[in-house]
Amino acid sequence: MDLSFERIFHPRRVAVAGVSTDGFGFGRGILLSLLEMGFEGELFPVNPRGGEIKGLKIYPAIEDIPGEIDFAVIAVAAEAVPETLAACRRKGAAGAEILSSGFRETGTEKGAALEEAVRVEAARGIRVIGPNCFGIYCPKSGLTMLPGPDLSRETGPVAFVSQSGGHAIDLAFLGKAVGIRFSKMISFGNGVDLRETELLKYLTTDPETGVIAMYLEGVTDGDAFFRALDEATRKKPVVIYKGGLSEAGQRAVASHTASMGGQALIWESILRQAGAVQTASMDELAGACLALSLLPRRPYRGVTVVGGGGALGVAACDTAEAYGLQLPPLTGEIFEAVQAVLPKPGSSAANPIDIANPYVPPQTLEKALTAAGRDERVDIQIMVPLLYHFKALAAMLGLPSIKEATPYEAMAEAGARAAAATGKPVCAVLPNPRRTLADLDVEVILREARDSFLKRGIPVFSSLAEAFSAVRHAARAARRLEGDPD
Amino acid sequence: MRDDVVSRALAQGRSILDEHEAKGLLSIFGIPVTRERLVTKKKDLAAAVREVGLPCALKACSPAIAHKTELDLVRLNIASLAAAARAYAEIRQAMGDAPGGVLVQEMVSGRRELAAGMTRDEQFGPCVMFGLGGIFTEILKDVSFRKAPLTRQDALAMMDEIRGHRILEGVRGMEPVDRERLAAILMTVGAIATRDARIKEIDINPLIVRRGTPVAADALIVLDDGGRATKRP
Repeated sequence: MDLSFERIFHPRRVAVAGVSTDGFGFGRGILLSLLEMGFEGELFPVNPRGGEIKGLKIYPAIEDIPGEIDFAVIAVAAEAVPETLAACRRKGAAGAEILSSGFRETGTEKGAALEEAVRVEAARGIRVIGPNCFGIYCPKSGLTMLPGPDLSRETGPVAFVSQSGGHAIDLAFLGKAVGIRFSKMISFGNGVDLRETELLKYLTTDPETGVIAMYLEGVTDGDAFFRALDEATRKKPVVIYKGGLSEAGQRAVASHTASMGGQALIWESILRQAGAVQTASMDELAGACLALSLLPRRPYRGVTVVGGGGALGVAACDTAEAYGLQLPPLTGEIFEAVQAVLPKPGSSAANPIDIANPYVPPQTLEKALTAAGRDERVDIQIMVPLLYHFKALAAMLGLPSIKEATPYEAMAEAGARAAAATGKPVCAVLPNPRRTLADLDVEVILREARDSFLKRGIPVFSSLAEAFSAVRHAARAARRLEGDPD
Repeated sequence: MRDDVVSRALAQGRSILDEHEAKGLLSIFGIPVTRERLVTKKKDLAAAVREVGLPCALKACSPAIAHKTELDLVRLNIASLAAAARAYAEIRQAMGDAPGGVLVQEMVSGRRELAAGMTRDEQFGPCVMFGLGGIFTEILKDVSFRKAPLTRQDALAMMDEIRGHRILEGVRGMEPVDRERLAAILMTVGAIATRDARIKEIDINPLIVRRGTPVAADALIVLDDGGRATKRP
């Protein structure tokens, strides 16, 4: 374990340079966010004007901080960054994140010269994240990104490395909502020092990280990155969303972080060659991370879909094949066993298993899942309870709200019990076509339901296609880890 | 030895190896190519046709002409010596002052045309391409890439990756393509690229499947001349 990385992600003493006492500058913003997150170590705000913020003394300069520091957050004007970084190095800091912009991304000679000065300083012995980035989010230590005063402090297996700060903070918030927990997240921006390859190598050996996700636009050394990736994917799943793959995207990249987007086809082929899981969007990346966080590593192929109503349309299930999954039709004893528990008429125990009525008791779902899961061709099951229909049920029964009518807790329990009984994991799809303002109560129930399923280790998706995609990615990663070509 | 043709071309200020030179280089590395003779004087034509056999193909062969089909400089399925003489005269006239000669080549019969190649990516270096060949390369762009050097597994995987991968199976009474031989060709293309940095691009298209075995029916190699040549022909 590299000690300098330990001091960067779990620092005890952190300087925050560029903190003003009012306004909405980055320095002040990140300091307040760190306080709000309950950062575990000591914070030392710095500003030449001095003063006080939230009961903390503001030091006029890095040099004035008593004793050594482990890490620094730098949010001063670009011109002052090289000197501030030098001061942090002399203070013993193992690393610094530079949130300031005004470097290479401006396309000016001055910006490029300042970036070079930062590079030179970094080479003298301080690791740099940035500049022009959102920095590090580490739930365990309480380091956070901007603007992230209320990110989750729950730690988990997923590490995310991103050239883009926007994608990083968005995934941090999305993860909090959909159940992805992070070990650490690094937005590296211009990546003058630490960037994709070295961070990938570090995360490959990091015991806190079980799944590595990356958003990349370009890489500085293709050979080194390829080797690191080829190595990493044999130990941990690596999920990559490469930005700028479309031609329009490639132009956007050139003006975004001033880095080169590779040719789409070559990138796709090479990521596959190196065993990475590739996604076409951040949402797809999030789905893959969720599945890889919660599902056992297995080469899933056979899947059942259990639910009722339109969401189970034949067309939706046909898409399973497009995701390399199969819906084996249930037959013989297993078919009979499933058929026996389903309500009649209108149900079907073939696969997809159509329970016809969204209001069947959760115990029925559990029995159907348990019976179907005994088929040896079935590797994983997807339940699709149509919770939004319970609003109508509540009205019919004269209940005060949808909450009293919706047995989501029992449904989640049914899924968990079936998974335990069969040894085949269960996923849930919670679709919601009711999205008007008048249906906010449905939205609330669905979010509570999501948490119920997640609490029992059941990943939740919004559509069958999303679930299939995530399961496919989990299967691919498992095959890679087993050393199978795919 | 292997460097001869590349060194000679570079010394002449060329950034292109013509079809005959390119295939010569590929065959040194064991890639199967068509049987062919380069004819620069009309009096040698008959002997070349006899050696190659009928039917044969005649093609303009010049480092100054990279796209001979578009310029109508290819004659296929030539069945007699007289037809060969006519084709030779037509091609010679159309070539004008371009250097080189006329290639007399065996006709490779096979209904499936594949393509193999190599390009140097700015970020990842030499990458080997595989895909559907002939006119389908450009129309369908059904190709896959692997970074060189390739393992056997990489080569096999990139065959399965194209949408039209079933063309490699024994469809419509055709023999299945010998995947091991095809893999060897793809790995060799990668090895050529990693061994000689002066070779910038390789095009083997079409790579015709003859009774299950791929044969390079046309090839082009682009050299890195350090930017000395002002433009490509």
